[in-house]
Amino acid sequence: MNIEASPWKGSLLLLLVSNLLLWQSVTPLPVCPGGAVRCQVTLRDLFDRAVVLSHYIHNLSSEMFSEFDKRYTQGRGFISKALNSCHTSSLATPEDKEQAQQISQKDFLSLIVSILRSWNEPLYHLVTEVRGMQEAPEAILSKAIEIEEQSKRLLEGMELILSQVHPETRENAVYSVWSGLPSLQMADEESRLFAYYNLLHCLRRDSHKIDNYLKLLKCRIVHDNNC
Amino acid sequence: MDLWQLLLTLALAGSSDAFSGRETTAAILSRVSQSLLSVNPGLKTSFGVHEQNMQDSCVDSSKKPKFTKCRSPELETFSCHWTDAVHHGLKNPGPIQLFYTRRNAQEGTQEWKECPDYVSAGENSCYFNSSFTSIWIPYCIKLTSNGGTVDEKCFSVNQIVQPDPPIALNWTLLNISLTGVHADIQVRWEAPPNADIQKGWMVLEYELQYKEVNETQWKMMDPILSTSVPLYSLRVDKEYEVRVRSKQRKSENYGEFSEVLYVKLPQMSQFTCEEDFYFPWLLIIIFGISGLTVMLFVFLFSKQQRIKMLILPPVPVPKIKGIDPDLLKEGKLEEVNTILAIHDSCKPEFHSDDSWVEFIELDIEDPDEKTEGSDTDRLLSSDHEKSHSNLGVKDGDSGRTSCYEPDMLETDFNASDIHDGTSQVVQPQRLKGEADLLCLDQKNQNNSPYHDACPAIHQPSVIQAEKNKPQPLLTDGAESTHQAAHIQLSNPSSLANIDFYAQVSDITPAGSVVLSPGQKNKAGVSQCDMHPEVSLCQANFIMDNAYFCEADAKKCIPVAPHIKVESHTEPSFNQEDIYITTESLTTTSGRPGTAEHVPGSEMPVPDYTSIHIVQSPQGLILNATALPLPDKEFLSSCGYVSTDQLNKIMP
Repeated sequence: MNIEASPWKGSLLLLLVSNLLLWQSVTPLPVCPGGAVRCQVTLRDLFDRAVVLSHYIHNLSSEMFSEFDKRYTQGRGFISKALNSCHTSSLATPEDKEQAQQISQKDFLSLIVSILRSWNEPLYHLVTEVRGMQEAPEAILSKAIEIEEQSKRLLEGMELILSQVHPETRENAVYSVWSGLPSLQMADEESRLFAYYNLLHCLRRDSHKIDNYLKLLKCRIVHDNNC
Repeated sequence: MDLWQLLLTLALAGSSDAFSGRETTAAILSRVSQSLLSVNPGLKTSFGVHEQNMQDSCVDSSKKPKFTKCRSPELETFSCHWTDAVHHGLKNPGPIQLFYTRRNAQEGTQEWKECPDYVSAGENSCYFNSSFTSIWIPYCIKLTSNGGTVDEKCFSVNQIVQPDPPIALNWTLLNISLTGVHADIQVRWEAPPNADIQKGWMVLEYELQYKEVNETQWKMMDPILSTSVPLYSLRVDKEYEVRVRSKQRKSENYGEFSEVLYVKLPQMSQFTCEEDFYFPWLLIIIFGISGLTVMLFVFLFSKQQRIKMLILPPVPVPKIKGIDPDLLKEGKLEEVNTILAIHDSCKPEFHSDDSWVEFIELDIEDPDEKTEGSDTDRLLSSDHEKSHSNLGVKDGDSGRTSCYEPDMLETDFNASDIHDGTSQVVQPQRLKGEADLLCLDQKNQNNSPYHDACPAIHQPSVIQAEKNKPQPLLTDGAESTHQAAHIQLSNPSSLANIDFYAQVSDITPAGSVVLSPGQKNKAGVSQCDMHPEVSLCQANFIMDNAYFCEADAKKCIPVAPHIKVESHTEPSFNQEDIYITTESLTTTSGRPGTAEHVPGSEMPVPDYTSIHIVQSPQGLILNATALPLPDKEFLSSCGYVSTDQLNKIMP
């Protein structure tokens, strides 16, 4: 009987172990169950990582924008034409330090998460469109891909932070819808270029916003306004 | 065509600018700009601005006010500055005004608002305090003068951040090196006060620069995030200046530099090192080279051969088998050539086309032959029965040189068949030839160094040779025999166990050459029996020479002024030095009366490889043509055919 039972035992054990491993690898960041006193990753570490990511994303966005501007739209005066027409303008983001200080932590975090969520789709389409361009600029494309990936990671991290800081927060799906895809695909070159310019300009701006907000929040939450 | 127009107009404008007033220039330039635009519409925007500027500046004869800088030091306020207008004209320009607008879609239409504060930021500036500042919203500002827009600019505040310089720089000593020459210090500063670091609104990055007081170039350090940094390895006796500037971490523009901090390090010791220690490479190199040179010279000129050989190994002396180096030194090129030819690789092209031309190979240094029995005996024993072919017409191409006249030789030939009597008849002629030979001999006597060996018997030997000569002639009926050969043959076996056929005793009319056995070098007495010249010649030769090399033969030929000798030997040399010309041999042996050897033929000697007749004991008659080509072994070997090989060929 032992001989018959042992292969079953072994396979069962194998199954168990594999399941554990699978559960382990679900999220990139270590999972801290809500309300746990001792967490594997501290909030400080989470914020540090988030700030690093946001800084990196902002650098990439700035570089991408300047490269695009230098290559395609230099001297066209698009900046004067660029209205504040980012799709995330509908979100009530603080525009200066006082406003940022007045907003609550929870709202702040939710806001950041909303901004990040709003950029999921535009980034995806940006990558697709730039890839499909004839003579696709490699530098811009690689940066766009990297930004898309990193912002997904940042979103996950922010959701984790949110769940840690405010576990009672409902999963709200507030985010701005982006409808700029048709403008990216326009036949007229000037309009199309302006659409790209606008998109990249907004991306740079929003990445800067997120970076700033996160630094504010980090100092507020982790260091108690004493960075 | 338009381009040419442009260039012409530009040239005109350039030239006219020097003379005419600015208004004309402006007009020309405007035309130029228009034509440029027609050529390339893309230039419109950028050029248009410039054109506008130029026109206005030219028209107003004053510089336009324009924005120099807009700056936000702490991301909460910002200010813009512009240049003042320079007035050349008389008319008084109106006040310059700045209007701004926030490009906010939510606000709808853009309306220009005037600057809220012209004062706080200084002259020609506009200050926007925090209530007017929104960070991520694009602003557009414009300068107006007399109602006309002078300059315009659009930006976002987060792009124009330039932090204030850090404050409160100070330094502290970390440590001083043991030598008291260098020291480390720690420089500290504080962030600009208006930058909100604590709340994290701004994250600053600093760059420190330092230099010695006398220097002009600042040394830069990498950007750092902290507000203190160590400086290592500063010299104690020098004064340093330090300055710091800051920038927002994400932006590109640095703020202004802080005030300069002077660092004067305390001097612990009174003694100061003048110069840094540097490794004296030059001295080492110089001394090293000189030492090596001295050592080299010592070795070169030292008597110690071993050391010398180690350093300068001797070049190996060229060695060729069979050649005596002395031979080379004496400069006897003929012998060298002969020996080389023997040892050298075959020259098949020489006789590849002539199938009938074959070599006689001569083994000079074949030790085997020494051990064998006397070849002559063998030959003589077997070949006694051989008949002698009648030597018909004398072969003209023997290339013989001799002292003899051709007529005499011919007559000798004809008369050679006669027996004793004829020989007797021939004798006087031969005597004559002998006389010639004698003349040669006399000359030889005079010139030859080895003549002294047997001076007394020289002539008698010759005569003796002559006497002996008719006997073998009669016996074999050959036209002529080599007297010396007979003499030599008289004591063949006693002299050597090996006999070599070295001399061509006769040449048959058919063209075959009669070879007589040569003689081995033995005691001096025996030498006297033989032809002294020959023996003496042999004494100088390599002992086991079977055949006389022509070179050797020539050596034996004294410096005879006989042209014929020379001339006849020449062609033989030209062909192959391995052939013994009958002339040379006859002269060498000093055949008296061998008048049948006709000199004067210039034709080359045929090669002989097969024994036609053995005229014992006189020698062998070699056929020139008769036999077919023997095996390759025969041909492949240059030089003379040994008797063994001859035996192989001949049944």
